[in-house]
Amino acid sequence: MKLRLTYPPEHVNEPILFLAAREADVLLNILEAAVNSEKGEITVSVEASEERLNRLIEFLQGHGVQVEKLTQALQVDATRCISCGACISPCPVDAIRFRPDWSVEFIEEKCVGCGICTVACPVRAVKLL
Amino acid sequence: MAEQRGEESLRRYEEINERVKKGDAAVMTAEEFVQAVRATGLVKAAKEVDVVTTGTFGAMCSSGAFLNFGHADPPIKMWHCWLNDVPAYRGLAAVDAYIGATAMSETRGFEYGGGHVIEDLANGREIQLRADAYGTDCYPRKYVETTVRLDDLNQAVLLNPRNAYQRYNAATNSTDRTIYTYMGVLRPHCGNVTFSGSGQLSPVHKDAGLETIGLGTRIFLGGAQGHVIGEGTQHSPKTQFGTLMVKGDLKQMDGRYLKGATFHRYGTSLYVGLGIPIPLINERVAATAALGDDEIHTSIVDYGIPSRDRPNFGRVSYAQLRAGKVEVNARSVPSSPLSSYKVAREIAEALKKWIQEGLFLLSRPIELLADDREFRPMRLRRAEPRVGDIMTRPVVTAKPTDRIEAVASTLVRGNIDHLPILDDDGSLIGIVTSWDLAKALALRKTSLAEIMTTKVITAQPQDSLDVAIQKMTRYNISGLPVVDDAEHVVGIITSDDVSKKVVGRRPA
Repeated sequence: MKLRLTYPPEHVNEPILFLAAREADVLLNILEAAVNSEKGEITVSVEASEERLNRLIEFLQGHGVQVEKLTQALQVDATRCISCGACISPCPVDAIRFRPDWSVEFIEEKCVGCGICTVACPVRAVKLL
Repeated sequence: MAEQRGEESLRRYEEINERVKKGDAAVMTAEEFVQAVRATGLVKAAKEVDVVTTGTFGAMCSSGAFLNFGHADPPIKMWHCWLNDVPAYRGLAAVDAYIGATAMSETRGFEYGGGHVIEDLANGREIQLRADAYGTDCYPRKYVETTVRLDDLNQAVLLNPRNAYQRYNAATNSTDRTIYTYMGVLRPHCGNVTFSGSGQLSPVHKDAGLETIGLGTRIFLGGAQGHVIGEGTQHSPKTQFGTLMVKGDLKQMDGRYLKGATFHRYGTSLYVGLGIPIPLINERVAATAALGDDEIHTSIVDYGIPSRDRPNFGRVSYAQLRAGKVEVNARSVPSSPLSSYKVAREIAEALKKWIQEGLFLLSRPIELLADDREFRPMRLRRAEPRVGDIMTRPVVTAKPTDRIEAVASTLVRGNIDHLPILDDDGSLIGIVTSWDLAKALALRKTSLAEIMTTKVITAQPQDSLDVAIQKMTRYNISGLPVVDDAEHVVGIITSDDVSKKVVGRRPA
């Protein structure tokens, strides 16, 4: 499960994510982080049971962090895709691969929404929602 | 005496075509033939199989189409011409034009180009045609604007000066930033490898001795039957970079095998579907037709180095590339193709079916292609200054322990803006600019070590000015210390040096 966490400016300096992960006892991986004077935004991927995931989300929300579950990030136009594979190796998280028949498969759960595949695609078949 | 190139010692074209007409020619795709040879041996397989079909579907920039629009009333001798805002070449008769795959739309830029126009034409879509003229006694009209479809054109001939590279370099990028190339997106620090070409299905590689491919060879082109009309530009069979010039009737073609493409921050192109039947006329031809992905090699080239002679990271087979992981600098990194193996397969299958069904006859080339060409570089006969020629030296430098006031007066006295900082061994460890000094003053800093930039962007004396200027633009800086191979500072080049010493280098 991927989560996008938005921090209000007053909490940007606090180690909330660490505390939340410790509290919920989950392992998480920071995929992207951007902090500026107005807000902080972190995208994390978490693999945890429903119960622990909820504990994590509750803790974060209790500390003023907005939590958004990221699902379905990519839209692939199958009529334009030519199965070339130009998007595969640029993907930083191995979320794209060939099927045995050499068509291209997107693994949504792995996708972090970085969008590199949308620019790597020569026929503009991939869109980020 | 050795057999002649093109010798028909196993079977003649006439015999093959007799069988094609009867519907009993033995045809295999190149993939199938590779397996057959591995199972039964070359001699047996070569005896049993008449024709091996190949296919490729990749971006082929040297592609385009000759179009004839017919005459308007009153007629126009087109001077400039645009198709969906993409400029077409107009150095021909009044209403002939050539639309090239890499020409880009004047309104949509990288997102739409000549390749897309060709795809849209092939799909029967309406194209906006615009042309201007200076007006002549026989062609009075000065402007025309209308729409055209493929059916409206008198001729629409796909004529590609360079298609179907026998194989191509694989690409990686050693720099510390992502680069966008005609080989696709290349991650920093050699983070991935991209490659092109269909390997064991590659048309020219399956007849590596060019014994059956030549002027007049009938081929699959864009979903229709087309022809090879000669060697392609940059044809270099000696280094296994043979190429073909091909021609076919766009009106017969299928948009599925002609796709407009955009390479991010590079430009537009056209994916061309091309397949060649290789008649197994002798055992040498059969032997190259039997080459598998594990026997076809290419080099991994560093596209991060902006030079013609890019360094390479060694040899790799198409089998390794296709497996999705290759070694670069002793590290395993993902590899992926730019050309579609799925569609390449589909083309080899389609061509096989045409031959099996008697719809496609093999043709003996009127002339074979040169097998001894080499691709030569452009010779620059006009002397071009390099970084070492215009850099300033000796360079005024400072030490990290120097006091800021002293440094400030050095800059003022020398009328300079950039001060490389060297350690006791003379190695470059930082740079300070007049702007850094202003900042130091504002922030009340006193030591140079506190304000210097430690990640210094440098140039080398042999670098071209274009590359040095590109670096300054990219990093938004105005000077580069010039270092030798031992990382010792030998000079400095600034935007001032470039503007003062180089203006006039290029004639207007």
